[in-house]
Amino acid sequence: MKRILLVGLIAVLVLSLFAGCASPATPTTTPSPTATSATPTPTPTPTGGGVIQIGLQAPITGNFAAEGQWAKQCVEVAAALINAKGGVLGKQVEIVVADDASNPKDSALAAQKLISQGLKEVIASYGSSVTAPAADLYDKNQVVSVGYGCTAVSLTMDKLRPYFFRTAGRDDTQSEFFAKLAVETLGAKKIAILHDNQDYGKGVAEDAMKYLKPYVDAGTTEVVYYDAITPGENDYSAAITKIKQLNPDLLFFTAYYPEAGLIIKQARQAGITCTFVGNNSVPTPEFVKIAGVDAIKGALMLNEPMPQFLTYPESTQFLDAYKAKYNEIPGSIWAVYAADALNALCAAITKAGGTDPDKVAAAMRTMTDAKGITGALLFTDRGDRKDIPYYTYIYDDKGELSLYK
Amino acid sequence: MSVFFEQLLNGLTIGSFYALVALGYSMVYGVMKLINFAHGDLFTLGSYLGYTVLVVGAGWVTATFGVWGGMAVAMLAAFLGIAVAGILLERIAYRPVYKAGRLPLVVSALGMSIFIQNGIMAIWGPRFQAYPMTAVPKEIITIGDIRITALQLFILLLALALMALIYWLVEKTTFGAAVRAAALDKDTATLMGINFRQVIFFVFALGPALGGIAGVMTGLNYGRIIFNMGWVYGLKAFTATILGGIGNIPGAMIGGLLLGILETLFAGYVSSAWKDVFIFLVLILVLIWRPTGLIGEKTAEKV
Repeated sequence: MKRILLVGLIAVLVLSLFAGCASPATPTTTPSPTATSATPTPTPTPTGGGVIQIGLQAPITGNFAAEGQWAKQCVEVAAALINAKGGVLGKQVEIVVADDASNPKDSALAAQKLISQGLKEVIASYGSSVTAPAADLYDKNQVVSVGYGCTAVSLTMDKLRPYFFRTAGRDDTQSEFFAKLAVETLGAKKIAILHDNQDYGKGVAEDAMKYLKPYVDAGTTEVVYYDAITPGENDYSAAITKIKQLNPDLLFFTAYYPEAGLIIKQARQAGITCTFVGNNSVPTPEFVKIAGVDAIKGALMLNEPMPQFLTYPESTQFLDAYKAKYNEIPGSIWAVYAADALNALCAAITKAGGTDPDKVAAAMRTMTDAKGITGALLFTDRGDRKDIPYYTYIYDDKGELSLYK
Repeated sequence: MSVFFEQLLNGLTIGSFYALVALGYSMVYGVMKLINFAHGDLFTLGSYLGYTVLVVGAGWVTATFGVWGGMAVAMLAAFLGIAVAGILLERIAYRPVYKAGRLPLVVSALGMSIFIQNGIMAIWGPRFQAYPMTAVPKEIITIGDIRITALQLFILLLALALMALIYWLVEKTTFGAAVRAAALDKDTATLMGINFRQVIFFVFALGPALGGIAGVMTGLNYGRIIFNMGWVYGLKAFTATILGGIGNIPGAMIGGLLLGILETLFAGYVSSAWKDVFIFLVLILVLIWRPTGLIGEKTAEKV
């Protein structure tokens, strides 16, 4: 009887895994994988009435809530700019927001919600593990989706999703850039790499190992520590104590800012003084808030161009409009990429002459003159953005970023 | 060797958080036979109450009472606030469905968990909040090669003291005997003149209140808090409760501390990526060997 009780308890526990987390996204009918070829919805044609609706799936709540809110604000500012210029094909652009709560489970629900509303073009989403299940659903239902904060190589290279694009760059560029920086610029002899066991963090870490290998084989450097932490926890002292004992020159953390902030704070507290390198999702105001200004002084950050360093005429116009509304600039480049996802979709819709997903997807691949806030909006056949450069940034003692050499 | 001791201290710190939260699970389960799924969210609520006390009026509390005084005020506020919240929770969500059996109780608990979590999000927002750095002592104590922050030491000692206090209260006092009797057999205990209402009141005030204090400690020690953090702690503390033996007060403490130490040592010496796998493997093995937990109740199930 006791055993039955315990089995029951564990069953309840497992069930609560699904029920325990807040899921603000309205759970619509469960996605049925068989319904792909059949018409997904009774075609409510949302484009009628002089409006083009574009979905935005973003982490409005959960661990990446800050990113989600910036993305929403950026997309709304970009939509206002487009509408002020007369909209797309003479129609006004309207944004429909769905919250994916920063996790893959709610991501599928949010995607289903937007699909069942009959949207044909969506912007989705932040976080590679969060984006993947949504991208699958959009693809199955022939909805064009454009990722903005998802840089894992696997998203476009593991399988072909004909309706998936992204305005962000790809992580192998970043990892290659890191290996060069660590060994050639910084001269690190002992490198520690810590990731979070998710698509994005693990992908960057694995690629970093790949690009470090020639240096390791040549004996110029060695990787003394390579392990993962569990995101969502608060105490990483076990991993940090171990890293401290190995005494590396450089600690490369590849995951998201909530954990990065704790890691650098706890590492400095434990007396680790080595160079800290954060990857492209780390440098945000939230990272500064969690870690504290003292802990991040001198920390290096890898990133695609940060919003404050964008110099295109489109970027100036956008950032001015954003600043006028919110009195600050967007907290990360990913939110700006979300705005560029809208710009790309609008350019493709204009080129395709309508919102038909097949024509829009074809237009995304072939357009050559679309200009966004972050430069030319050009995509490869697999949906990757072309020509994204990488830079190194450094935090000063006030928690401000500047370009590092 | 000093690395080992440092890891042991890390484990004890994590473990004492688990143990404090686990106590609340275990006390409620012992008396009500209910897994209070809202417990982890009361822990979060405690953390946010402490945060509010420390940030209100630009750190007025810290400025007036000093760093340690401010921390004491924050913890006291969370303790009292969450005690009240626990009592309210029982009144609103559990008492009306208590007679309907276990399943409605569990569903009600899950509902309250979602309600509290979303309530916190509605009040304090969905983004991370950070405890003010000025409200936290910065001293670092060095013994040989071992570094420990004064705050960590304080948290460890306070947690152990609280656990000792609860142990004494439940195992050594007359009132504690009443609580244990009510846990053993509610009807007979009532016939013997034990006020069951009073026992429930005690359990629902003190259990969540301990979680509330643990919430403030978490905020002070790690800095960042978010509305859904109760989930991770709730899950781990629940595991600790099962490991030690649910419904058993010393079991919850030992389960919590053991869980913290095991996961830290595994992360420190084997792999931090696989530590949760290891923990749940240990849990499964313990349950096969002792289905009632390490020091679970020896009473036979009433059928």
